[in-house]
Amino acid sequence: MALLELQNLKKYFGTQKAVDDISLTVEKGQIFGLLGPNGAGKTTLIRMITGIFYPDEGQIIFDGKKFDPIKDVGYIGYMPEERGLYKKMKIGEQAMYLAQLKGLSHSDAQSKIKKWFARFEMDSWWNKKVEDLSKGMGQKLQFVTTVLHEPKLIILDEPFSGLDPVNSNLIKDEIFNLAQGGSTIIFSTHRMEQVEEICNHIVLVNKGKKILDGTVKGIKQDFKENIYSVGMNQPLSQVPATAPFELTGHIEDRHVIRIKEGSGPNEVLRYLLDQGGSIHSFNEILPSLNDIFIKLVEGTPTARQFQPVHA
Amino acid sequence: MNKIFIIIRREYLTRVRKKTFIISTLLFPLLYLALIFGMGFIAEKSKQSLHVALIDSSGYFTAPLLSKENLADDNSVITLVDKNADSVMADHKKAGYDGYIIVPAINWKQGAPLLFKANKAYGRSSTAAVEAKLNTIWTAIKKDSLQIDSLKQDILNQRLMVTPKNIQDETANAQYAEAIGYICGFLIYLILLIYGSQVMMGVMEEKTNRIAEVIVSSVKPFQMMLGKILGIGLVALTQFLLWIAFVLIIYNVGKASGNTGMASDMVGKMQQIFTSVNVPLILFCFGFYFLAGFFFYASLYGAIGSAVNEDMREAQSLSFPVTMLVIISIAMMSAAIADPTGPIAVWGSIIPFSSPIVMMARIPFGVPGTVPWWQLILSMSVLILSFTFTVWFAGKIYRTGILMYGKKPTWKELMKWAFRKN
Repeated sequence: MALLELQNLKKYFGTQKAVDDISLTVEKGQIFGLLGPNGAGKTTLIRMITGIFYPDEGQIIFDGKKFDPIKDVGYIGYMPEERGLYKKMKIGEQAMYLAQLKGLSHSDAQSKIKKWFARFEMDSWWNKKVEDLSKGMGQKLQFVTTVLHEPKLIILDEPFSGLDPVNSNLIKDEIFNLAQGGSTIIFSTHRMEQVEEICNHIVLVNKGKKILDGTVKGIKQDFKENIYSVGMNQPLSQVPATAPFELTGHIEDRHVIRIKEGSGPNEVLRYLLDQGGSIHSFNEILPSLNDIFIKLVEGTPTARQFQPVHA
Repeated sequence: MNKIFIIIRREYLTRVRKKTFIISTLLFPLLYLALIFGMGFIAEKSKQSLHVALIDSSGYFTAPLLSKENLADDNSVITLVDKNADSVMADHKKAGYDGYIIVPAINWKQGAPLLFKANKAYGRSSTAAVEAKLNTIWTAIKKDSLQIDSLKQDILNQRLMVTPKNIQDETANAQYAEAIGYICGFLIYLILLIYGSQVMMGVMEEKTNRIAEVIVSSVKPFQMMLGKILGIGLVALTQFLLWIAFVLIIYNVGKASGNTGMASDMVGKMQQIFTSVNVPLILFCFGFYFLAGFFFYASLYGAIGSAVNEDMREAQSLSFPVTMLVIISIAMMSAAIADPTGPIAVWGSIIPFSSPIVMMARIPFGVPGTVPWWQLILSMSVLILSFTFTVWFAGKIYRTGILMYGKKPTWKELMKWAFRKN
C-alpha cells in the first residue's frame, strides 16, 4: 500500500521550473532513493512533501488522505541537507524542544530521548552544549531528533555527509531497523554506492523532471548492455567477426565481452568451448547506478539554466 | 500544547536564564544612577580654583571687601595687588597667581569689560566664580551710590512670572509631564532598538546554525517568527516589570525609613508625581505602545534577519533604514515635548512609525486636555493596523528568506518576496 503519492506536482520559482510535473509513489516500508544532480529539484520536492512549500499544481496523498501540512508534519521526520542545531542549547533540552514541536508530550518525549540516547551511547551528553560536540556526534544527535517521534515517513537528505565509516554504519543499521519496524524512508543523495546498498526503489530527477523510476534491480536490468566477464586459461586474442560476441577489454586476468544482438550467453559459451578453452568463470556485468546516473545526466549543464515558463 | 507556546517558552527561557539578562537588569538602574551622580561628581571635580591678582585703579575694590568675598566662597581667591603690580604683570606665575585682572579707573555709573590675563587658556566657566565675586562687590557699590536699601531692593527684585497651566486638565503639571513624557519616550526608544535588534540576531542565529529548515518542517515559518517576537517581547516586559518593582521597593523603603534627607525628598517628589498625572492611564498606554511598537519594529527586524546571511555588516546596512525611523522618532519626541499640541506632535503621534515614542511623550501632559480622545484612539487603531500589516509582510519575507542562502537580497527583492502570491 502506498504511504505517499505525488500526483503531477509542479513548483515554479519566477522563471525557473524547480519541479516540473513529477508523479511518484512510495510504498509503506520502502527505502526509497530520490536521486539527482545538484539543483535537480530534489530539495524543492522534499520541501513540498514536508509542507514547507505548497505545490503550484498537483497534489500529495499521504497515508491515503490528502496531505494536510499542519496535521501531518507530526508523522514526518525530516533531516535537511542544510541542518544544524542551536549551538548554545543543552543537548537534552534541544532534543526535548524539537520533540515537543513535533507534538510529543513532555513525558513521552523524555522517555523516548532517554531510550535513543542509551542506544547511541549518548547518555552522558544530556547537559552538554551542542558547541561542545564533534561534527559526527552532532550528526548522531541530529538523526535522533529526526526519528524520535516515530514518524511514518522519514526523509533524509544526504544523511551520511560528515560521518566517519563507523558512525555511517551505525546510522545505516538504524535506517534498516526503522524500515523493518514499518517506517518508510526517503533517502535523497547523489552518492550512488550508498543507494545501491540501501534502497529498494529509486527515482532519478533532473531539471525538475522525473527521468527514471523503478527498483534498483529492475533498472540495472533495463540498462544492461549484455556485458559479461569471462575467466579462462587461454588468451582470447583473435575474435573473428563470426563469433557471437566482441571483446571489449580486460579486468585483471578476465576478458570483458559484449554479446551481439540476437545471441545469448549459451551461444557464447558454446563458441568458447568449441575453441577448446577451459572456462573457470562467466559472469554478467550489470551497470552500476553510478554509470546509469552519469549516462542519463551527462550532457545536461551542471548548473541549472533558467527556462521560460509557458503557463 | 500549541506549538507557538513551545517556541515562545524556549525564546523566553533561554534569554531570561542567561547571565547577561540578570546582570543587565540589575546593572542598568545602577549604571543610570552612577551616570547621574558621576556627572555631578565630575562637574564638581573639574571646577578650577583660581588664585587671581587684582590690580585696581578705580579704588572701589578694597582688600577688606575682597577678603569678605573670599571667605564666602573659597572656589577662587582674589588678592588685591598694588605695590608689586609690576612684578605680577611681568611674571604672575612666579608671584604665585594663576593670572591677573587690571581694573581701569572706572566710574560706578559705567562699568568696563575686564580681562583675565593668564599665560594659559581658560574657559568662561572657570572665570565664572571670579566674575560673580567682583559683581557682588560692584552691585553693592552701585546700590550704595544709588541709596537703595533692602526694601527698595525687594521691590526691584519683584518679577512677573508666567507659568503654563492647563485649564482643561487641572491636575496636569507641565514640569512633571515633561519629565515623565521624556522618560517614557526614551524607554520605548531603547526597547525598540535593543530588543528589536535581538529579534534580528535571533533570526540570524537560526540561519547560521542551519536549524531553520529543521524547525520549519515542524511549524510554519510564521509561527516560528511570531513565537520569537512574542518570546523576546516578554523578555523585555519582564525586565521592565523588574525595574518598576525596584522603583516601588525603593519608594516603600524610603517611605518606611522616615523623613531623613534624600530618601524622604525622593518619596515626596514621587508622591507629587503620582498625584499630578493619571498614573493608571499612563501605565496602560505605556504597555500598549511598548508592545505595539515592539511588534511593529521587531517584525521588520525579524524580516531583515531572515534575509541576510551570517555577515553582521549585511544586516547593518539592510536594517539602517529601520533604525533611522526609530532615531527620527526620538528627534520628533523632543519637538513634541516642547510643543505638545503642535503639528509635529499631533502627526508624529498618529503616524505609526513614530507614534509609540511621540504619543507616549505627549500623554503625560493630559488626556483629553492635551491629547484629545480621538487622537489617542486614532493613533492606537492606526498602530494596530500597521503592526498587523508589518507582521504579515515580515512573515512573507521570513518564509522565503529563512531558507535562502547566498547573496544578500536588495529591498526590491524583499518586496517581491513579500508580494508573491504564495
